[in-house]
Amino acid sequence: MNVGPPTPTEASVTATAAELAGLLRRVAARDSAAFAMLYKQTRAKLYGVVARILTKGDLSGEVLQEVFVRIWERAGDYDVDKGSPIAWMATIARNRALDEIRRVRPVSLEDMPEGFEPAAEEVDPLGARDRSERLSALMKCLQTLDEEKRDVVLLAYYRGFTREALAKRMQRPVPTIKTWLRRGLAQLRDCLS
Amino acid sequence: MSLSPEDDFSAAEYALGTLDPGERAAIAARRQREPELDEAIRAWEERLSPLAEAVPPIEPPRDYLAEIEARIHAPAPTLAAPNETVVALRSRLARWRAAAIGATGLAAMLAIGVVFREATRETAPHEFVAVLQKSADSPAFAVTVNLDTRELTVRPVSAPAPSGKSYELWIIDAKLGAPRSLGVIDPADVTRGDKLAAFDPAVVKDATYAVTVEPKGGSPDGKPSGAPVFVGKLIPVGP
Repeated sequence: MNVGPPTPTEASVTATAAELAGLLRRVAARDSAAFAMLYKQTRAKLYGVVARILTKGDLSGEVLQEVFVRIWERAGDYDVDKGSPIAWMATIARNRALDEIRRVRPVSLEDMPEGFEPAAEEVDPLGARDRSERLSALMKCLQTLDEEKRDVVLLAYYRGFTREALAKRMQRPVPTIKTWLRRGLAQLRDCLS
Repeated sequence: MSLSPEDDFSAAEYALGTLDPGERAAIAARRQREPELDEAIRAWEERLSPLAEAVPPIEPPRDYLAEIEARIHAPAPTLAAPNETVVALRSRLARWRAAAIGATGLAAMLAIGVVFREATRETAPHEFVAVLQKSADSPAFAVTVNLDTRELTVRPVSAPAPSGKSYELWIIDAKLGAPRSLGVIDPADVTRGDKLAAFDPAVVKDATYAVTVEPKGGSPDGKPSGAPVFVGKLIPVGP
């Protein structure tokens, strides 16, 4: 995250969790003005989630639109006990992006762009400012994992890599990646419970 | 939670996104019927979701709000679309319609197939059919399975012949581990087979069926060489 002058992007992350939760409640009550505000506050964050996975601008824009339609439809399902509003919305965005990129199509493997980085920066959750309690807890647990196990979990989360793509990236065979994922995820689950 | 460690790992991988298209489709289908698996996927999504807070924002290339609002306030297109699709599919499927399934059953099957929902029926059906497709408006193969005899019939609908290559059919299910080959299928003629006899009927009924493009004569090592080009699941037909 850069520390330049305030831009719309910067502004978009300034809404607090409580403010976003309030907007979601109003959206659930079919408040169009609240929806427009929610869109302005979260579009760049959610586009960041989607574009890192899909890497194609036109597809990412299309998926972003669908994500907001889903948020409109499901705003009433948001449960403050299950996480922050942005985490909830990002889960919808990630799932939609993953469904898109894993859609079965004639040349799906060739379609996968190799090496095209939508944003040169890799996500660094360890360096994130303003960590929520939940993110802090998760990071504490992630730090107990061996580096390679942490890397595969984070790469999969932020870039939407399959085991096969992870194997290429890490230059290890697929079964090794699977073992890392299995152990890493089990360790995370135990650490968080 | 009585979910097996294997299924919990599948739930975790589904939430994390590391499954390939066939596996993802199989888990997506299973969670519709298995509340514990669905619950486990949600629990994993919740565990991992704080990571999203750390994603640096990227400003979208343009403003989509007007388009999103238009979609939200448009009359639900989901009601009209499947019907139009069914009409289009019907004409394309005219050749195949001559087969033993009645027109009503076919229309119902396509409508259901398009939205990927399972039909509920009062009597246990014996005949199942899957439309293998890459998208809702381009069915490539129709797979019919008789659950009693485990006989498999594959009819081409509009599969373009892959030049110098073969189509191979696979059965994919978490219970089987890796995809299992059901043999090479003909893009121009009906292919019949008995390879399903080796599988548990419950697996046959719930599995995902997928077609890959392989070297002529089929996969050299018994494994799919690439991602599926057509995919579908069985639904019951006829009484």
